[in-house]
Amino acid sequence: MAADLNWAIGGEAGDGIDSTGKIFAQALARAGRHVFTSKDFASRIRGGYTAYKIRTSVDDVQSVVDRLDILVALTQRTIDENLDEMHEGSAVIYDGERSWEAEIPEEITAVDVPLKSLAEEAGGAIMRNVVALGAACEITGFDVAYLDEALEKRFGGKGSKIVENNKEAARLGQEYVAEEYDLSHLGYEMETTDADYVLLNGDEAIGMGAIAAGCKFYAGYPITPATAVMEYLTGRIEQFGGHVVQAEDELSAINMALGAARAGARSMTATSGPGIDLMTETFGLIATSETPLVIVDVMRSGPSTGMPTKQEQGDLNMLLYGGHGEIPRFVLAPTTIDECFWKTIEAFNLAETYQTPVYLVGDLAMAVTEQTFPPEAFDMDAVEIDRGKLVDDEEVDEWVDEKGRFRAHANTDDGISPRAIPGTVDGAHMSTGLEHDELGRRTEDTDVRVEQVDKRNRKVETAIEREDWEYREFGDPDADDLVISWGSNEGALVEALDRLEDDGVSVRVLSVPYIFPRPDLTEEIEAANDVIVVECNATGQFANLIEHDALTRVKRINKYTGVRFKADELAAQIQERLAEEVPAQ
Amino acid sequence: MSSDVRFTDFKSDKQPTWCPGCGDFGTMNGMMKALANTGNDPDNTFVVAGIGCSGKIGTYMHSYALHGVHGRALPVGTGVKMARPDIEVMVAGGDGDGYSIGAGHFVHAVRRNVDMSYVVMDNRIYGLTKGQASPTSRSDFETSTTPDGSQQPPVNPLALALASGATFIAQSFASDALRHTEIVEAAIEHDGFGFVNVFSPCVTFNDVDTYDYFRDTLIDLDEEGHDPTDADAAKEVILDADKEYQGIIYQDENSVPYHELHGVTGDMSEVPEGAPEGAMDLVREFY
Repeated sequence: MAADLNWAIGGEAGDGIDSTGKIFAQALARAGRHVFTSKDFASRIRGGYTAYKIRTSVDDVQSVVDRLDILVALTQRTIDENLDEMHEGSAVIYDGERSWEAEIPEEITAVDVPLKSLAEEAGGAIMRNVVALGAACEITGFDVAYLDEALEKRFGGKGSKIVENNKEAARLGQEYVAEEYDLSHLGYEMETTDADYVLLNGDEAIGMGAIAAGCKFYAGYPITPATAVMEYLTGRIEQFGGHVVQAEDELSAINMALGAARAGARSMTATSGPGIDLMTETFGLIATSETPLVIVDVMRSGPSTGMPTKQEQGDLNMLLYGGHGEIPRFVLAPTTIDECFWKTIEAFNLAETYQTPVYLVGDLAMAVTEQTFPPEAFDMDAVEIDRGKLVDDEEVDEWVDEKGRFRAHANTDDGISPRAIPGTVDGAHMSTGLEHDELGRRTEDTDVRVEQVDKRNRKVETAIEREDWEYREFGDPDADDLVISWGSNEGALVEALDRLEDDGVSVRVLSVPYIFPRPDLTEEIEAANDVIVVECNATGQFANLIEHDALTRVKRINKYTGVRFKADELAAQIQERLAEEVPAQ
Repeated sequence: MSSDVRFTDFKSDKQPTWCPGCGDFGTMNGMMKALANTGNDPDNTFVVAGIGCSGKIGTYMHSYALHGVHGRALPVGTGVKMARPDIEVMVAGGDGDGYSIGAGHFVHAVRRNVDMSYVVMDNRIYGLTKGQASPTSRSDFETSTTPDGSQQPPVNPLALALASGATFIAQSFASDALRHTEIVEAAIEHDGFGFVNVFSPCVTFNDVDTYDYFRDTLIDLDEEGHDPTDADAAKEVILDADKEYQGIIYQDENSVPYHELHGVTGDMSEVPEGAPEGAMDLVREFY
């Protein structure tokens, strides 16, 4: 039997699919198993097909695959949607007492469990999903004690009665399968380890990174798939002296965040593409007034309302070029969930060091995916804070003109000016989106205009020289062919390497977490035979940048179905592209 | 904060480019005097302004200030106050900035009751773009964009504030320096959102809502014996379509400002050199 197990629960939105999946994922993590989850959901509150999938192994797992072993099907559609991924060793847990007729192909083991009746016996029909979890434990040989722990964590706050009822529901499910079926021929083995893993998704990692970085103020407006950042911070940031405001719209959110930043707080907002559209006007003001601010864009499928609950990496051009005039900025795109944490901290440091807005780019696939990590992956002792040229009462004196006025936009060699926050004595000054002189006063003087534009752009030049805009590397460093990726595709790509190796294909993979500035890949590209750029969009926005930088043509793998890449499909597509003619130079 | 602050300390050395005779001169002078009279200091004051003639105020005043984008001054002021409850926040805007493009933010800033003052320089016209109808222009007012009158009834900003749950509503006149200053002072001292609509005549483009018009028609609520704590009396004044008033129209004496209600009382500008103490608990939560 395969070392890793792929499990899923599917039904209608409102059936508790998500929380049931999460409980099982937590139980597996508690058993020292790695977990990688994915979600399939529609943009509606109730009804419509929704599924929560878990891939679990004692080894690290970073992607979803085209195989499903155990399926909890609450609706017929759940079976229909997943048939192509099921195989001879697959089992389907379903409730034969339900009105729908389960049509399950013969080669797949049908496990009929009276989920509803057993749940009622345990104390309420609402627990039918937990009965199914108990059944799944029995089929896979997974110790139900871990499930008990996860149930305690989930329902502990609701009282011991609820916890006990849920444990009973799980036990009834387990016992029913043990008594009614002999499933030893399926041969599932759920090995456990002593490892302690934490289980979290990308949005949570961003929120946790913000608190670690000393962010105290967050303003946002709910939008899929960025809302979880705000939900994470609400109730937690207060414990660290911060506050979250749910603003009336994205325009307000970014302007509140701007106000807090000018008042000296580390400040952040998060949204998705449509919200970035609305925030773009203020984005120019933030850059021109030289305010440090972190703006998170958790991308979803666009344009317009697009497919709000589906994956895409289509906002790159907007983040790089959005806004009228020319706006200096940084664009960071973490490639894994743990990097969402570290890059958020880096985003705050860059914002304050260079007094610029920083876009932090996530995407739906990473935002809703939960993955296990050793807790050391989020080592708080390793967090470093750099507030840049923040001046105090004494230091202000070095930056005033002959009339004692603070030069908030002083023209310096590195382009970075001193920053005084309210309360700093003799630091009072105005900032504006108008072109201004060193004092922040409006000007149309041609020389001052050029001086200030150059000054602001020089900050980026300074950063390009000073900071390390590295990439992450995987695969065979000596391989002839190069695959370049950005954002959440990294995990699937890393796993694809194993499959390629099985077929005797070796490639070198570069995963790029910086969009602007970005590492110079010219040498790597020139040394390579084939270069393939992988991304979830139709027009190859990152591939275009690579071609521009290296003055060469690259091959492309683009997916814009709304579904993230899977390791096996990527492996197949890479082989296909490698077999194609090299594009004309 | 020093005790010997004079209102001129809030003045910058930049000469205003407002038209000679513009109501904004008087409005601004009153704001500076009110800030000084209430014991504030330029280094502990933050002034936010949007776009339009009113937006220029940050340039002519001296304090920490942000001149932002059109209509969004209130959210900026909200962010400043949340991060720094110790800082005096004053937001300035025009009738276009506040009641047209920023109308949504106005409603929400009012209902949040953030402890700041909001002074709207209402001249009932778009001045800086040279004379188009504003949301407070009379419906028969003829302008370059409304040659036959706008045919749209004006917004009643006081009613909008009342309906949004305002805890302080006042109206003043730029030319009545003493009363205007006194009213802005009360707005600053109010525990919550202090809203003052100021009649600030545009001498270039508005020949209807002039100094003479307001001098002749304004009724002072103090002289009427109006009780601002009486919500019903306030409602009557606000919904009176036939008369123009100045004075404090409504004040909720039990107002609790947002930051106190939500316990946001600390200085958020402090950041430790590493992750804050106890941050590892955040990781353990995911175990």
